[in-house]
Amino acid sequence: MLGRLSLLLHIASRHILVRRRQTGVAVGGVAVGVGFFLAVSALMVGSQSDFVKQLIDVAPHIIISDELRSPTPQPALREFAGGAVDIHGYRVRNEVRGLKDWQRILASANAIPGAIGSPSLSGAVTLRLGGRDEPLGIVGVEPGIEAKVSNIADKLRYGSLDNLEKVQGGIIIGEELGQRLGRGMGDIVPATSSNGTTKSLRIVGLVKKGNSQLGSSTGYMLLREAQSLLGRPFIINRIGVKLADPYDAERVAGTLEARYGYKAQSWQERSADFLSLLLTRNVIMYTVVSAILLVASFGIYTAVSNSVADKRRDIAILRSMGFSEGDLQLVFVLEGMALALVGVLVGWMLGWVLMNILGGLEFHIGGDVQHIPLDRSPRQYLIAAGASLASGVFASWLPARKASRVDPVDILRGAV
Amino acid sequence: MSDPALVARHLRRELEGDPPAVLVADADLAVQPGKFTAIVGPSGCGKSSLLYLLGLIDRPTGGQLLFDGRDLAQASGDERARIRLEHFGFVFQFHFLLPEFTAFENVMLPLRRLGRLSLREAEARANQLLGDVGLAEKGWKLPEKLSGGERQRVAIARALANNPRLVLGDEPTGNLDSVNSARVVELFRDLAHQQGRAVVCVTHDMGIADLADIRVSMLDGRVVEVREQAPRT
Repeated sequence: MLGRLSLLLHIASRHILVRRRQTGVAVGGVAVGVGFFLAVSALMVGSQSDFVKQLIDVAPHIIISDELRSPTPQPALREFAGGAVDIHGYRVRNEVRGLKDWQRILASANAIPGAIGSPSLSGAVTLRLGGRDEPLGIVGVEPGIEAKVSNIADKLRYGSLDNLEKVQGGIIIGEELGQRLGRGMGDIVPATSSNGTTKSLRIVGLVKKGNSQLGSSTGYMLLREAQSLLGRPFIINRIGVKLADPYDAERVAGTLEARYGYKAQSWQERSADFLSLLLTRNVIMYTVVSAILLVASFGIYTAVSNSVADKRRDIAILRSMGFSEGDLQLVFVLEGMALALVGVLVGWMLGWVLMNILGGLEFHIGGDVQHIPLDRSPRQYLIAAGASLASGVFASWLPARKASRVDPVDILRGAV
Repeated sequence: MSDPALVARHLRRELEGDPPAVLVADADLAVQPGKFTAIVGPSGCGKSSLLYLLGLIDRPTGGQLLFDGRDLAQASGDERARIRLEHFGFVFQFHFLLPEFTAFENVMLPLRRLGRLSLREAEARANQLLGDVGLAEKGWKLPEKLSGGERQRVAIARALANNPRLVLGDEPTGNLDSVNSARVVELFRDLAHQQGRAVVCVTHDMGIADLADIRVSMLDGRVVEVREQAPRT
């Protein structure tokens, strides 16, 4: 069996080697297809995972807030469920803001393996400087826990999250806001909350420019101090949860919401519009890429088909010698596979080179040198190889079948 | 006389059409081992058609073809291929060597396909076969570098590779000069007389037909005469 295969492969390889130009074209087609597949998919997958990573990291994977998706049902509706009573136009009672029983919610979030929950209180204050009012959303956090849940620490240009604990009345604001206020590290800004409490805050950290969410209108404070500034002691209105596996967020959010009633928003829900955009992008990419590979398989089809046409005499001779129809079919399928295989190997090299060129490009964005995010995982190489080999087999199958059906009699008798 | 190597009974080959063209009509023939059989007749009489039917290359539309007591007329393609490989050897008018393979590699093809010998044994046998036809020194050459007579001898060596019981020739001397032609005929006679194989040759050369042990005459697709001839030298 192995001897048969090596013999047929031997015959196939001779056929290929004799027809250098055809072989070159077919191999080149596959190689270009594979090379560009690798470069394009590295770009697409790389930028996508970079983008998704940012979507995931920009905020905790799940945010539990003190909102309800819909108001608590009216007692009458609860009592007569199923349509006997319908109520319109009633006024929804204002629930007391803040997560009730938040310690329990936090405990059950922390009970999920690998998950960390960070309680926080957000509210609005006004910074009053020289007759100018700047509204600012403040978030009170526990710095030790928040550092594990969000990537705010990476985004600081100056200072650190720990400074909040060290400095009385410390606040971290965006670099842009600081510039607008004419204040820098260590400077004091007075803040007034909506209930009239005023406090002088000291800037202990500045967030880098270019983070639109944190940049200009959010400040970070110690949870305790935020609670006292906003006049809501012991209250929190948000729990951010970071999970070991971000892709589990949707499920976990569902269970938390079902259990406590508060809105638990996963990052997927938060960025559903982006994710559907990515889906479209993937469909486009794989369509283009399959087209490239399909075109490559045309090259193989032509090469094998010509080889069959050229070798009709040899086919008849081999048949007369006792080679079976299956043998001859296999010879030509092997030719297609060999062309595809060599094409894949050359294409891998081409792809690798293209990726290195792309990866070497440098861009200066926001003062940082950035590289194009590329996905260089072996998975792409395997997909390219698998698709090319499969299309090579498929493309050579039809001519190979034709080869096996050559009638040796006519050729052997009327031979030239 | 020993058992025939191959028996054709009412063997028939028609081409589709209206009315069907008859290439071979109800041929009866027993091919004897140890004998050199020549099939003769005017061109278009169906002698080559009969040879391809006997050689399992073409399929009859009727009749039986008995080999080892089995009817191979309707056997599967794979089975017929297997029997060709193991027991039949062909020599054609044109040398029909694979052009990309050296003489030695051409002889190796059927040996490797059968796979009964180890690679080393197969190589030894291929060298021996080439030596037997006087080409021991030229095995490494591609067919295009060999003369017509040499190519035909390589083809004969290849036909004998798997030690076939039947050797079939379709005008094997048709393209050779008289010297080479005589050499090939001598080889064929040896294959029958010395090695006990059944040798069947289609020829229009009456000089060759005269050297055969059995002369089969055909006309219009029919076997009209089977005549044993006295041994000659």
